[in-house]
Amino acid sequence: MGRPPIPEKSGEISVRLETRHLLDRSFSGLGFVAIFFMAASLVVILLPIIVKGLSAYLFTGTIEFREAMNDQFDHGDRAAVQAEARLAEQARQPLYDCLTAFADGQSKQLDRLTAIAQGMAAREDSLGRSVARKMRRFDPQAPFSSQLKTLQGVYDRAAANRGAVDVVDELAEMNTILAGLSTLNEKVEAFEHALSELLGPLPGQTPPRLLRSQYGQTRWDRALIKQRQFLFEEEWVHPPDGAPSYIKETPRIEHFRGTALEPAFALIEHDLESMLRPKFTFYWRFLTDTSKDANFFGGIWAEVLGTFYLTLGAMLFAVPMGVIAAIYLCEYAKPSRFISFLRTCISTLAGVPSIVFGLFGLAFFLNTLEVSHNKSVLAGSMTLALMILPTIIRASEEAILAVPQTYKEAALGLGAGRWHTVLTVVLPASLPGILTGIVISMGRAAGETAPIIFTAAVSVGQPLSIFKAFSQPTPALPWNIYNLCTEHEAVNELRHVQFGMVFTLVAMVLILNLSAIILRAKVSKKLRG
Amino acid sequence: MDTNASTDTIKMKAMSQFSDDLDQPADIGPGEAHVSARDFSVFYGDFEAVKKLNADFAKGRVTAIIGPSGCGKSTFLRSINRMNDLIPVASTGGQLIFDKLNIYDPRIDVVSLRCRIGMVFQKPNPFPKSIYDNVAYGPRLQGIKKRAQLDDIVEKSLRRAAIWKESKDRLKENALGMSGGQQQRLCIARALAVQPEILLMDEPTSALDPKSTSRIEDLIAELRGGYTIIIVTHNMQQAARVSDQTAFMYEGDLIEFGSTRKLFTNPTEKQTEEYITGRFG
Amino acid sequence: MSAGKSRFQRLTQMAGQGFLLAVTSMSTLAVLFIFYFIAKDAVPFFLKTAGGFNWETTRQFFTGSKWYPAGTPGQFGALSIIYGSAIVTVGAIIVAVPLGIAAAVCLSDVLPFRVRQIVKPVIEILAAIPSVAYGFFALVVFAPMLQEKGDTLLAVGSWIILLPILGLGTLVASDVLSDRFKGRIRTGSRLVLWGLFGGGSLYFLHRFSGFLNSLEIDSGTNAFNVSIILGIMALPTVVSVSEDALQAVGRELREGSYALGATRAETLCLTIIPAAISGICAAVILGVMRAVGETMVVWMASGNAAQIPAPFYNFLQPVRTLTATIAGDMGEADHVTGSYRYSVLFAMALLLLIFSFGMNLASEWVVRRSRKKVGK
Repeated sequence: MGRPPIPEKSGEISVRLETRHLLDRSFSGLGFVAIFFMAASLVVILLPIIVKGLSAYLFTGTIEFREAMNDQFDHGDRAAVQAEARLAEQARQPLYDCLTAFADGQSKQLDRLTAIAQGMAAREDSLGRSVARKMRRFDPQAPFSSQLKTLQGVYDRAAANRGAVDVVDELAEMNTILAGLSTLNEKVEAFEHALSELLGPLPGQTPPRLLRSQYGQTRWDRALIKQRQFLFEEEWVHPPDGAPSYIKETPRIEHFRGTALEPAFALIEHDLESMLRPKFTFYWRFLTDTSKDANFFGGIWAEVLGTFYLTLGAMLFAVPMGVIAAIYLCEYAKPSRFISFLRTCISTLAGVPSIVFGLFGLAFFLNTLEVSHNKSVLAGSMTLALMILPTIIRASEEAILAVPQTYKEAALGLGAGRWHTVLTVVLPASLPGILTGIVISMGRAAGETAPIIFTAAVSVGQPLSIFKAFSQPTPALPWNIYNLCTEHEAVNELRHVQFGMVFTLVAMVLILNLSAIILRAKVSKKLRG
Repeated sequence: MDTNASTDTIKMKAMSQFSDDLDQPADIGPGEAHVSARDFSVFYGDFEAVKKLNADFAKGRVTAIIGPSGCGKSTFLRSINRMNDLIPVASTGGQLIFDKLNIYDPRIDVVSLRCRIGMVFQKPNPFPKSIYDNVAYGPRLQGIKKRAQLDDIVEKSLRRAAIWKESKDRLKENALGMSGGQQQRLCIARALAVQPEILLMDEPTSALDPKSTSRIEDLIAELRGGYTIIIVTHNMQQAARVSDQTAFMYEGDLIEFGSTRKLFTNPTEKQTEEYITGRFG
Repeated sequence: MSAGKSRFQRLTQMAGQGFLLAVTSMSTLAVLFIFYFIAKDAVPFFLKTAGGFNWETTRQFFTGSKWYPAGTPGQFGALSIIYGSAIVTVGAIIVAVPLGIAAAVCLSDVLPFRVRQIVKPVIEILAAIPSVAYGFFALVVFAPMLQEKGDTLLAVGSWIILLPILGLGTLVASDVLSDRFKGRIRTGSRLVLWGLFGGGSLYFLHRFSGFLNSLEIDSGTNAFNVSIILGIMALPTVVSVSEDALQAVGRELREGSYALGATRAETLCLTIIPAAISGICAAVILGVMRAVGETMVVWMASGNAAQIPAPFYNFLQPVRTLTATIAGDMGEADHVTGSYRYSVLFAMALLLLIFSFGMNLASEWVVRRSRKKVGK
């Protein structure tokens, strides 16, 4: 580089200028890297939350979704949904025909087995008697698998009998059929389970108790996963040499080659769309629907409402206290031991870990004051209020101190009392600043989990009416996010709901914060003139 | 100003051309010019704070710049060692020539420029370190690490700034414990330790009491000859006392520039006369 | 005006001020109550049922690492849990402090005003995201990523972080060392040193990333995961507090340093950062407090295994922290209010409370001392 045209001074200088510039530039570079890392981590964290969270609202819903919505929440046009359901039913018919044909074939084989067994039971020798004893328990109305079990017992008994020399052929036939049926039976059960997960209860099945089993896949993305699980059997393989275990996928169709079920796979593989009729859905009611069957259906209204109650309740306590404290500290308090002790207390309060607030709420508001019999929104709000109190005090103090001294002096000079000055001059002038602080701490109160775990939050619950709010616990977004993604029994099935909740919470908090940023920008512009 | 030379050869060529093109001022006045302004302007955004200034600052002499506040004298002073670079909206036009090169030439290395053009500020600004560390700050930056050498530089600088006597027993004490006048002399010592050729002083006594002020003025008189000193001052008596030459600036223009005696006794311009007789300012 | 009226006025004024003071004192009251009520329920843990101080459980609590609160009798060795809190905090600080200070320096001295206006909201949003959202990210997005591709991730990360640092170190070290020579030897020695240091650090990097690549990550929910996320959460605090401290140093010192021919890095490292060091310390303390007190992230993503990792610095193993233990065990302990199982959690809370109180006092002390030193 043709660096210094201003020559270096000769003599003692021993660190080259280039080295110093290199260090300088790399120092700035370090700063840029840090800033970049911060921005990047924001993007990396928010992006999946936003993208996947939006998919709770915007997704491709199947006919099962529309049926469930219609049955459970009375959304949509009943006639239209039913007409569409009939169309889907028609598309599924060939599949169900396969099942029927397969079942027919199986029951024919079962009949043959029964015939052989009954033939043997008709004999007068010891074989006949023992088979007949067994066959007395045979119930043609029993489920397929239990019939099969009885017949297997008959076969075992007969094969063990010494007098069975002249029924060798029958026994051999029985054995073949039994072997075929019982190996298939397990696979058929898995087949039917996978199919009913995909499409809902199969015709002829007894209707399941759980709501989630009464419908097939409501979302096309989930349906595609289930389709794959139907087409391929998954199996964990643990290699003996200690290599990491992995999942092996085998096509399920292999087990059903040559049976009546074989065409079903092609149908599922190619005609799933007409069976489930995926359609782009904007489910804005996710926000305002209550949840059914532990968040499998419906939305998150109970949680959203609970969060609202808790936040507003916290504000109700914290804002008056915080603003009054700030006014006192700025306008009235003279520097003294007590005031500095007060300030230390406020900063200590700001530093108390949130979980400790939760314990305190439990020990004080619930166990000592007994503001309510059990966890309640009231106790939760009070705990949250304590937590955000220091933030509000500080923000309000800053806003009040930012009011130019001249305003106050002018008002005081006009003969207004101190309190009057505060009410008519100081507060109005500092209101935007105070509001900014309030809005930011609202975001904090809405998103905080630890203080409400022991004081207000429950995992499952219905939206509370405002009258019950103070004495009852409530679901709340932050707590239910935790609960749904760690303690729910179907964590992986409900990712979209979890993401939807996180997205909703983050959106609420960010909207609050953005409005605070905008508010502040406006204020500072006004102050700058 | 915007030489976008991309390779070294082009740069070298540009340099040689540049130095050839330099029109040496015909009338250099008393002594050889050390810094010369040629149509030099400083802008803050759209505002022209210094307007097309032309002046030669003589080597080894003390030049005072006077004028009412806001006339651009500090701005001009700060642009000589490019302290204005720290202000994002500031830009310059024209040339400010030092050692045959424009100070604002993009090839100039600001760091080595500032080693050669030192500065003392309005408010004493010693670092919150010991007196020794304050003075040794500049030399250490240049990589001088030997204790004996540093001791030598510190002592010489403190002596030259006439503060050795007061400070030699408390070199390890925090500089913030000194009085304002001592702090300012320490700042001068700190600037001298880098061995600059030019010393810029931006109202160095405005924050000091009269006694400290006169000590600083004595110091300037002692430094005269060894360094080119350019001092901005509010105080006309001070300018008259310490400087060889005086420049009077008004609203960004250089109104008059000449020997101090002449400017104060027989000003050419009416504005100068009005200012020094106290009719405005 | 009658004397009676003015007395009445004075009385109302007094009453009004008294009311204000009373409301203001609520926060003091709150702090005292928090200490009292947490301590009240914690104390039974340290006492024998018959009365008197119980050395046995106290010693077990601080030195034992067996945590079986549900056993009969329950074992309450909290050492591994305290250690878990410590290790994730240290990890978070390793992430947050260098990055936070670098970002603060960049914000206050390097970036132009307009860019700063964009970066500030980024910091605010980072601070505003609820902790449960961070925890969700750590558990649902980051942990599976770590578990599946963690080794590669670490290896690539080590290249990205260490390559520029080592490269720079090579350049600077060889420059400084070769400056001892004069003339042509200088250039030659510099080239030799470049090769020497550069090759050395490349070899080191290769070995190091190979080592990282060979690591096996059994579970994505571990101390490393939590440390990164906690570090990101503590970043905004560290950045904004230390930026305030750097801004407070003022322009005069910066100008003084620049005028002596210092580069920006030299000005910052030799003058501005030392002058702002107390504020930066306060920032670090606040960051530590944020990391120690955080509940949701560690509860969701630390793995919740009450064990001291082996070896003790192994960040890739699951740990369990104080906050997560309180949050997780209270659900079961709730029904047996008054038992050891219940009071041990309050003992942990008391520990946290005392720690954060001490940290808070320390930060106040640091700030006050620096104010005295500067004499403002």
